[in-house]
Amino acid sequence: MGHFVIVGILVVVMAVLTYFGLDATGLATQMHPVAASAQAAPIDQLWHWEVMVISFLFALIVVPIGYSLTVFRQKKGEMLDGEHMEGNASLEIAWTVVPLIIVVIFAYFGAYSLGEVRRVDANAMIINVTGQQFSWTFEYPEYGFVTTELYLPVDRQVVLKMQSNDVIHSFWVPEFRVKQDVVPGRITEYRITPTLEGSYKVRCAELCGTSHAYMESPVVVVDSAAYDAWVVEQVKIAEESKTPEGQGKLLATKNGCIGCHSVDGAAMTGPTWFGLYGSEVKLADGSTVTADDAFIAQSILEPTVTVVEGYPPVMPPYVLTDEEISNLIAYIKTLK
Amino acid sequence: MKGFFSSALARGLFWQVIGTLVGAGLVTGIRALMGLSATDTFFFTEPAWVLGGFTGTLFFLVGSGVTADWIKWMRGIDTPDHHEDHHTGAAKYINVSLDHKVIGIQYTLVALVLIAVGGLFALIFRTELAASELQFLTTDMKLFGQNGPQLYNTLMSLHGMIMIVSILLGIAGIMNYVVPLLLGAADMAFPRLNAFSYWIAVPAAVLLLSSLVLGGFDTGWTGYPPLSARAPVGMQMFFLGVFVAGWSSILGSLNILVTVVRMRARGMNAMRMPILVWASIATSLIALTATQFIGLSFQLVMFQRLFGMGFFDPAKGGNPVLFQHLFWFYSHPAVYVFILPGLGVISELLPVFVRKPLFGYRWIAMSSLGIALVGFLVWAHHMFTSGMNEYLRVPFMYSTLLVAVPTGVKFFSWVATIWKGRISTPTPMLFVLGGIIVFLLGGLTGPPNATISTDLHLHDTYFIVGHFHDTIFGGFVFPFFAAIYYWFPKATGRRMNETLGKLHFWLMTPSFFVLTFGMMYIGLIGMRRRIADYDPALGIDGAHLVLTIAAFLIATSVLIFFYNFINSIRNGEKAEGNVWNSRSPEWQVPSPMPAHNYERPFEVVGEPYDYGLNDSGFVKFIEEPAKGKH
Amino acid sequence: MAHTQDKSSALGQGVVIFVYLTILTITEYFVAVSFNAASLLVVMAVIKAALVMYYYMHIYKLNEESRDGEHSYAYKTGTNRLGLWLFLLSDGFVFAGLLVMRANLLGLTRPHLNQMLGLAVTAVLLISSFFMNRGETAMKYGDRKEFMKNTLITFVLGLGFLIGVVFVEWRLAADEGLVASFGNPSVGPLGGVFYMMTGMHAFHVFTGLIFLGVVWNNARKGVYSAEKHWGVEAAAVYWHFVDLVWIFFYPALYLIGTAVQ
Repeated sequence: MGHFVIVGILVVVMAVLTYFGLDATGLATQMHPVAASAQAAPIDQLWHWEVMVISFLFALIVVPIGYSLTVFRQKKGEMLDGEHMEGNASLEIAWTVVPLIIVVIFAYFGAYSLGEVRRVDANAMIINVTGQQFSWTFEYPEYGFVTTELYLPVDRQVVLKMQSNDVIHSFWVPEFRVKQDVVPGRITEYRITPTLEGSYKVRCAELCGTSHAYMESPVVVVDSAAYDAWVVEQVKIAEESKTPEGQGKLLATKNGCIGCHSVDGAAMTGPTWFGLYGSEVKLADGSTVTADDAFIAQSILEPTVTVVEGYPPVMPPYVLTDEEISNLIAYIKTLK
Repeated sequence: MKGFFSSALARGLFWQVIGTLVGAGLVTGIRALMGLSATDTFFFTEPAWVLGGFTGTLFFLVGSGVTADWIKWMRGIDTPDHHEDHHTGAAKYINVSLDHKVIGIQYTLVALVLIAVGGLFALIFRTELAASELQFLTTDMKLFGQNGPQLYNTLMSLHGMIMIVSILLGIAGIMNYVVPLLLGAADMAFPRLNAFSYWIAVPAAVLLLSSLVLGGFDTGWTGYPPLSARAPVGMQMFFLGVFVAGWSSILGSLNILVTVVRMRARGMNAMRMPILVWASIATSLIALTATQFIGLSFQLVMFQRLFGMGFFDPAKGGNPVLFQHLFWFYSHPAVYVFILPGLGVISELLPVFVRKPLFGYRWIAMSSLGIALVGFLVWAHHMFTSGMNEYLRVPFMYSTLLVAVPTGVKFFSWVATIWKGRISTPTPMLFVLGGIIVFLLGGLTGPPNATISTDLHLHDTYFIVGHFHDTIFGGFVFPFFAAIYYWFPKATGRRMNETLGKLHFWLMTPSFFVLTFGMMYIGLIGMRRRIADYDPALGIDGAHLVLTIAAFLIATSVLIFFYNFINSIRNGEKAEGNVWNSRSPEWQVPSPMPAHNYERPFEVVGEPYDYGLNDSGFVKFIEEPAKGKH
Repeated sequence: MAHTQDKSSALGQGVVIFVYLTILTITEYFVAVSFNAASLLVVMAVIKAALVMYYYMHIYKLNEESRDGEHSYAYKTGTNRLGLWLFLLSDGFVFAGLLVMRANLLGLTRPHLNQMLGLAVTAVLLISSFFMNRGETAMKYGDRKEFMKNTLITFVLGLGFLIGVVFVEWRLAADEGLVASFGNPSVGPLGGVFYMMTGMHAFHVFTGLIFLGVVWNNARKGVYSAEKHWGVEAAAVYWHFVDLVWIFFYPALYLIGTAVQ
């Protein structure tokens, strides 16, 4: 019996050490990074319980193995057989039934935790989110403007109604703990109640192509006064952008053009729009053309026909009206 | 060298090239007649490459000669049951052989080559990740029609699938070599099908690798549409390669099942089969059936691309989430295909090195079947964030958590087996113990992914990457190395160098712990999967540098293994007897094993793992000489 | 039970099963036309499948013990039989996957197809299975001539089915614009599912025809005898399997749900 007592004590010691070891890295009581939503609380709570069970089970398996390796080791030159123990039915039943009970308990915790995360507030604010290669756009239907930053008032539940223009994306703000895929052809829902003011980022978590790594947009949680001020400002900007250039800029945001085409000359997946209008463009087939209205229109409608040298032919065609195209061109003209 | 050019391998590859040109040329010709464009970025058009890849595979099979006997049968000509190998030495392994031991080694060698290739890919993109921003896979660089980030995505995706194929071949190698020996069979039930299953994997590997130079693909190994419906032509080569490799797995497992049912030695009833045989049954049942679903799901995307059939195209009324269901219906059970044989190896080897019976033999055997069964019911836990029906997520959480029960039975039984055993730790045993601990970490980090709410945070992050590398290393890589160190003397009559083996282990294991723990850590902080670059603001540059160093240390240890492996074939210490003092039948006869296995058949007279019981044996050789050779 | 039968009662059993299958198929059709009961159609398909698997594919033979040694032809045939059935199990998953896809994408709708043609090709395949069974039974009693004659009829009927589906049905579906045409990139799931399911099945019919051709040719050369004819049995079981798949595909494509354009 001596062995069992020693191992029992060691298991407890090891379990405690493992737990506090994980706690020292900050991983035990909550997940990383800082929790910034009401939904994060039940998730972190469940995680904490799981870490405790993991620490114990880790010790339960590792300690007897380590102990046996040290104490029951074959000495040098020895070639002895161990005790003839074939098994023990009650022991086997015990370590089938006990884990089964733990599993049932965790199944309950898991379902409970999910219920907490999905708790619905009838007064939640709706924001429409569109994902496209490789950017996010946010439409505030109450006020009718579109932005590339997600502003949220603190302590108020929002429902993001999300859709994709092209492939599958995934909406993830690590601080909110929740992730939801954005699937073309259907609207998925992301329900969150921000609880901590600050600047975060939404990061696309489902591989969506070449620049997937850069599909990140700012998410800002502010108090309700600051939020209202921001809304007023955005409404004003939306009013001002009723000009063709303004509409063009809006289109570029909405359709995600600026996910690949920079407006300041920076290198991205596609050629920059900065100083594009009227310039000479070298194409992949070796010819050179002037970037006039016709060229830009064709590049939007049939992007694979006019591929600019040095860029991959990855842009999908966009179906836009003549007016929309001329607005876009008007906007591109302003970029010098 | 001359021998190489006349080998089945060289002939097969030659004919594969010819076949590809024939198939692609055919489509190109038809297109030209129909007035469609005949060439594209990668010379041939996409339909031409697809048919070319397919005909290339067929030409390889006929050209290598592996189908020769079947063609004779079709013409009504009988062939002898057994073929003696015409080749000796190394040439045996690049020519068609019907001997399960040769085929097992062929599988193992190709698996090792693919591990090296997949590992090299991993090192390339791991180096890119050592610091934030793009260092050498930049947007300016160009290779195979891809820029840096695209190449990153291709290498990362191929790393996944090449390693998966390598694992499938690795387990096929172990099962092929060992299972008939454990059963006392002269060969597998269908030796020609066995050779076919191996040889079809070679053109599959070629197809997979060809996707790298044909524009690559940037979807990850999962190939989710609509992204995979838009990727370059390399995507099709990837699909085709996986489809062909799938047949290797299906036919190989069919063979294993029939062999186990029909070819056991006298007296070997179900509860006296070595435990690895039970694991092989469980793994083969999954591979035989579920594999069809990954083939089908990839086929559907291929057809969507070729003919515009909008199965998964929402614009045409298709459903992208359906693909994920079909895909994971195989790809989740597939991880049990990868690990069950490895867990079988652990259970098989443990009693030998602790000199004690396997604790709870029946329970371990049944837990393998239990894992296989439950494994069929958990696939949608990969889709908790996919937008599938909300309420379906909960039953899948329950079934997933249930996997913990049979897995727990295995762990507790292993601990009880080790307890009070007289333990010695030569290299194979080190890898067995390493496998147990690493798999334990993989298992323990599983439940947070199974409970839906925590998974909403963890899904598609490096936490998952760390978790599954733990399960795959613990369930496959460590036991695979253990199996190689353990059965190497059986195959060659020499043993691998102990010192180098221990160096391999002690270099690889700590580095691996650092690697996976680090992965989980950065995943929690916000490192997403499958990204070429990460936000420096996350503050994980330092962690990534450590991970890269750990990866290179693992690579170094594997290089030591390769050196040891190659060197020991010629120069290893002679070991023709029962090196590990095992009760298993294959160790009761001298090494290396002769061509048709046991000279005299054996009868099972005891339990397989009765170590510590005096005057007992597992098998007894029957005195009368074996019936005449065929 | 198969061993104790004489030849005429074995052939008679084939006829009885064929009559059952015919009645069930006709009932199926009228059930679908008069009242749309998907679950009833599924039940009937399962009954038909069970009849085919037991009597035509004689699945019970998997249980047959061979008293001869491990190297005997009978023992090896048992091994081969298990291998074939495992292969069919695996292959069955492909078709199960296609049915899952059909259920997910189309639900209780189906493509608008020519009902008479559907019933006709189904009948042709069913009759071919009947002759296949006669052929195999003949070979079991060593009647090579009878076997070749029946196999030839099976082959011709199988070819008829293939032509009916690929050259008539596919074209009809395309021409009438009921389903967008093959190769035309405007095909939605309706056309995609139809072409994929019939195409995958037709591919199996095609390989089955090759198989029949091979065993017919080998029988001509005198390779098979009453005791040794594993090739014949394999070809027959495979052919019935192709029929078995169609037993599920026919209602899935032609009968269940409402037709949409």
